[in-house]
Amino acid sequence: MHRLQTLLLPRLKSCAALLALIGLTGVARAQEAAETVNRWGLGEPASDYGYRFTDLFWLITILVGVSFVLVLILIAIPVIRDRARPGHKASFDHGSSLHDKQVTTVISVITFLVLDAWVLVIAMQDLREAYWAYPDGDDEGVYEVQVLAQQWSWNFRAAGADGEFGTADDILSNSELVVPVGRPVSFQMTSKDVIHALFLPEMRMKKDVNPGDLNKAWFQANRSGDFTILCAELCGFAHYQMHGKLTVLEQDTFNEWEQEASKLALAAFDSEDTESQWAWDWEQ
Amino acid sequence: MSGDHIHPEPTSFLSKYVFSHDHKVIAKQFMWFGLIWLGIGGIMAMMIRWQLANPGMPVPAIGEFLFPRTNGVLDPATYNTLFTMHGTIMIFLGLTPLMIGAFGNWCIPLMIGARDMIFPLLNMLSFWTVFVGGCVGFYSLFVPMGANEAGWTSYATLSTTVGAQGLGETLWAVAVFLIGASSIMGGINYMTTIIRLRAPGMTWGKLPLTVWALFLTSVLNVLFIPVIGSAMILLFLDRAVGTSFFTPASLMQGGGGGDPILYQHLFWIFGHPEVYILILPAWGFVCDLLSFFARKPAFGYRASVGAMTAVTVLSAVVYGHHMFTTGLSPMLGESFMLLTMIISVPAEILFFNWLHTLWKGNLRLEVPMLWAIGVIFVFGLGGLTGIYLATIGTDIFLHDTYFVVGHFHLTMAASALFGTFGALTFWFPKMFGRRMNQTLGKIHFWGTIVPLTFVFCLMFAMGYAGMPRRYFDHTSAEWLADLQHMNKMATHAAFLLGAVQLVFVYNFIKSRFWGPVAEENPWEVGTLDWSMPTPVPYYNFKEIPTVHTGPHEFSHPALGEDRDWIPMTEKLPT
Amino acid sequence: MRRPTLYVLLTACVAIAALSSFRGDEIVSEPSLAAEASLAPEEVEASSDEQAEVANDEPRHFRAPHNVNLFITEDDAVRAPGEDWFEQQAELFPGRYSYDESLADGEGGWVDKDGKYELRYDEEEEEAFYWRVLTKEELTIGRQDYVQFCASCHGFEGDGYGRSAQHLRPGPRNFQRAMFKFSKVTQALPSDEALKTLIRNGLDGTPMLAWDLSDQQLDGIIQYIKTLSEPETGWRDLFTEIGDVVEVGENPWVGKESEAVTAGEKVYHKNDCYACHPGYLAPPDLAALREAPEGTTFRDNLSYPAIKDSDYTVLDHQLKILPPDFTWHQLRAGTTPLDLFKTIAAGIKGAAMPQWKGAFPDEDIWAVAYYVHHLVTEYKDQPAKRSAFMNALRRDQ
Repeated sequence: MHRLQTLLLPRLKSCAALLALIGLTGVARAQEAAETVNRWGLGEPASDYGYRFTDLFWLITILVGVSFVLVLILIAIPVIRDRARPGHKASFDHGSSLHDKQVTTVISVITFLVLDAWVLVIAMQDLREAYWAYPDGDDEGVYEVQVLAQQWSWNFRAAGADGEFGTADDILSNSELVVPVGRPVSFQMTSKDVIHALFLPEMRMKKDVNPGDLNKAWFQANRSGDFTILCAELCGFAHYQMHGKLTVLEQDTFNEWEQEASKLALAAFDSEDTESQWAWDWEQ
Repeated sequence: MSGDHIHPEPTSFLSKYVFSHDHKVIAKQFMWFGLIWLGIGGIMAMMIRWQLANPGMPVPAIGEFLFPRTNGVLDPATYNTLFTMHGTIMIFLGLTPLMIGAFGNWCIPLMIGARDMIFPLLNMLSFWTVFVGGCVGFYSLFVPMGANEAGWTSYATLSTTVGAQGLGETLWAVAVFLIGASSIMGGINYMTTIIRLRAPGMTWGKLPLTVWALFLTSVLNVLFIPVIGSAMILLFLDRAVGTSFFTPASLMQGGGGGDPILYQHLFWIFGHPEVYILILPAWGFVCDLLSFFARKPAFGYRASVGAMTAVTVLSAVVYGHHMFTTGLSPMLGESFMLLTMIISVPAEILFFNWLHTLWKGNLRLEVPMLWAIGVIFVFGLGGLTGIYLATIGTDIFLHDTYFVVGHFHLTMAASALFGTFGALTFWFPKMFGRRMNQTLGKIHFWGTIVPLTFVFCLMFAMGYAGMPRRYFDHTSAEWLADLQHMNKMATHAAFLLGAVQLVFVYNFIKSRFWGPVAEENPWEVGTLDWSMPTPVPYYNFKEIPTVHTGPHEFSHPALGEDRDWIPMTEKLPT
Repeated sequence: MRRPTLYVLLTACVAIAALSSFRGDEIVSEPSLAAEASLAPEEVEASSDEQAEVANDEPRHFRAPHNVNLFITEDDAVRAPGEDWFEQQAELFPGRYSYDESLADGEGGWVDKDGKYELRYDEEEEEAFYWRVLTKEELTIGRQDYVQFCASCHGFEGDGYGRSAQHLRPGPRNFQRAMFKFSKVTQALPSDEALKTLIRNGLDGTPMLAWDLSDQQLDGIIQYIKTLSEPETGWRDLFTEIGDVVEVGENPWVGKESEAVTAGEKVYHKNDCYACHPGYLAPPDLAALREAPEGTTFRDNLSYPAIKDSDYTVLDHQLKILPPDFTWHQLRAGTTPLDLFKTIAAGIKGAAMPQWKGAFPDEDIWAVAYYVHHLVTEYKDQPAKRSAFMNALRRDQ
């Protein structure tokens, strides 16, 4: 302490200045922070199956949290209680008795059932009922979108008013996608160059987009609004810029939008420009 | 067995320190090599964190020197290079040489009572191969268009000529191939040595758990490194010769055509066992260190060995969990999910044994012990969060977000690193004949574990909030810009973490050359390595010892009051 | 010690082999079926025979090249801006440029102390031109950055048909043609600064993103791109005029933005903008505004844009371009009144949009810019509002 004093006292002024500077920076920082919105968690899901992720996530969090706290307690007790000290001796236990083996087995089985099997069953349900329950192509009301990813952009193609892919009124868009609310949106996706991944965070949907292969994914929006499209698989140096906008419209607005978009697509259609017509037959 | 002839000690500088066949010298070569790379990889991590918190700002201090063309600012391509090489370097050139190269070489012959590795020449070649591999990797940083930018996983087709035209990617494949070759040489050597050269009485049931873990690691090395080796050969051919193993027909100009997903299968068949290659030695160290410093036998020795073996076997059949969003068939996906979850059973048995080893012990909280307990802590965090990623329902969202980054850094990076620090501080007195400073060691431990836990737990929060990994600048997408405050916090903590490592560097170098001279058995441990004089003589044992007791017979009731340990060469008093 | 040395040598050989196998100096070119879609079996309409043939004869891009040339072996020079530019530079960097009266056969000219720019006398034309001298080292770095950052779309040879450009509309620029839509300059070619601004800002709604590159990197890439123009065209043409971003005078409408919108609406509809872009007035209102005689009819589908030919080609197909409907389409080069003023004033090279600077007083161009800005902010991305607006226009049709 004395040394600290001899060090600091002669430099009192500069110390004060330094402290003031730090304080000022802090104030500036706080003001800066007050202006930007800081997000911690994840907003409400915007898709019908989105709640499944949140529910399962927090279930696992509770299970894992309890287990981890248990582990911490079991570390803390011996660390505090059984520290080496004169006269203290460790108990001698190889843990190889039949009893120990039985306890180990029982605890393993219980942990597996509680931590894993429970989660596994729910996850299987989720997969079968939601994530992998792709809408049937024959279903009425499925909004189909073909995705052609590229470095570093998303090309979307919807069938347009006539419901057929590869026709003049296909709605083409780049990094912007418009879909209706309350209807399953079904994607078939491929890539021109490298692997991308279509990530709709608010919809809790993610699927890789591979070159030379068709991948599929789906979601159903539960509310209208503007949402985010991100790329989740490293696709080159501009990976971080490969984002887009997903607009979900109410059914009526959407219908009108689709009619208009188809008309504008017709206006832009150039039948001789075959190279630009990349649609494929919708695979069932 | 091989004790019939002892070569004379080499005298020239080259044969003694450079091309030495002595496992102890090779261990030290691996150690310095690994530590240097760990430092390089760490600096890269700091630059990555700087960029994430301050996108577009020049890297302080070293930026101007390293990136003159951009005035010290990272450009997106350089950023990709950095995280790619950070991963590659830390895994292949940092932790693998340290844990398996250095401590495999140091521990195995000394702990099992052998005079050297069974194939000393192969042992030397193993080091020089990884050295050449490291040089190729280092050189690739300076070729036109820079080093590999496709991530340490280097998924095709981004890693083929479709996505990367520079030489760096090709050199990366060569480097990984060479490093893999080195690991295979080491693995064969370790396995054979452990099988053939155990001292009389050193039964499989008396092997220290470190040796068991290194044995199982070697098995994984020998089985799975060839898979990445083959993937690298194919990638090399795709890039340099124009074949199309990983390029689909639609992207090939002159016919042909392969499958980019094939690369992912090959990579992860290796990649998942690689996680256990790194973590198994750490588990082995922890099993032993806990027992040594709790002055208590390792609880459930057989169960621990069984659990580690089970993990070794299971690690081969769970790799699909890295590919849940690739488009696996539902049946495959569900099978891999189930298998992955089964791994938690052996891991849980290990935890149970560790905690039980601590229970009612006589805990000497020395630095190596702190690191061992640290491994339980960080691996507990990392392992438990694995459940989120094994479950497809949650993995669909969390895949390729910062959640994954936090998870694997805690499991395979932090646990392996803590294990390494534990082992370094534990064997330091025997390796160099000097003691490390305990106070600095404790400062290093607490200064590491606190910010480290903070950084990676924050990454769980980032991942849950939807922040994708491998983004150069998260503020470019509106939805992510409001997460930037977390990035800033993580960076501050990471810088603290980085700064604290300097304490270790100082402590390590100072103690190595000027530290107080150590006793021969400062930790009062009975294993064969600690029965040796310091420095350990060339050819280790004048006479191969005979082993009578197990490695963990601490506080045996028959030992009396004056000591609580017994060398493995002594018989327990009856 | 022989064995280990030998061993180290061997492993080094592997590394060198890898190295040497990659430094091909030649670009391997094989005919490629460029027009074939990447999803051949699922393709809706196969390319016409004629087109496939053309593509076969002229390989245009490499999808998975294994031997891309990364080194430029010869120095080069491209057209630099003219006298005026040097006058400006001389003021900006005192000491670097000096005027020498004896140059160019006695006509006089600027001398660059750094040797970056040169005045060369052309014997045939009997005139002197400024050139930017590019060393092979400079170009090599530019080439490497180009391959790294640009080639996936613009092609390894700058032909605008890279791997990721397949099926893409609008297509990436063909640098061999040296024609830029949104350079915002009134002269034939944009200055370095104009190109830099373009690359930094990107083109909205296309994969031409806003690139995070340093000045030095951009400069290298831009110089390299210039050398891609075919002989006697673009930056290799002696008489090319190189211009800076269009001059922006004082904005006459500051403080009276709403008046600007009203005025802009008039200018827009009085001057036939609706011949290509949509008309945003119902035909009777439009007729009234134009004081057209009764019975005047306007083009069909007046409220939709009309597709136009352009000078751009992809695989020898002359592209058509749909002029944007401001209430619907994403504008490429900014939507602030200032951006719009520049775009309208300079026109869009190669497309049907002419240069309006000079044709109209600046005041009118500003007004139209405000009007377009108004259309974008009011109706774009607001489907309900827009459809009410557009339906009102179409009520009589």
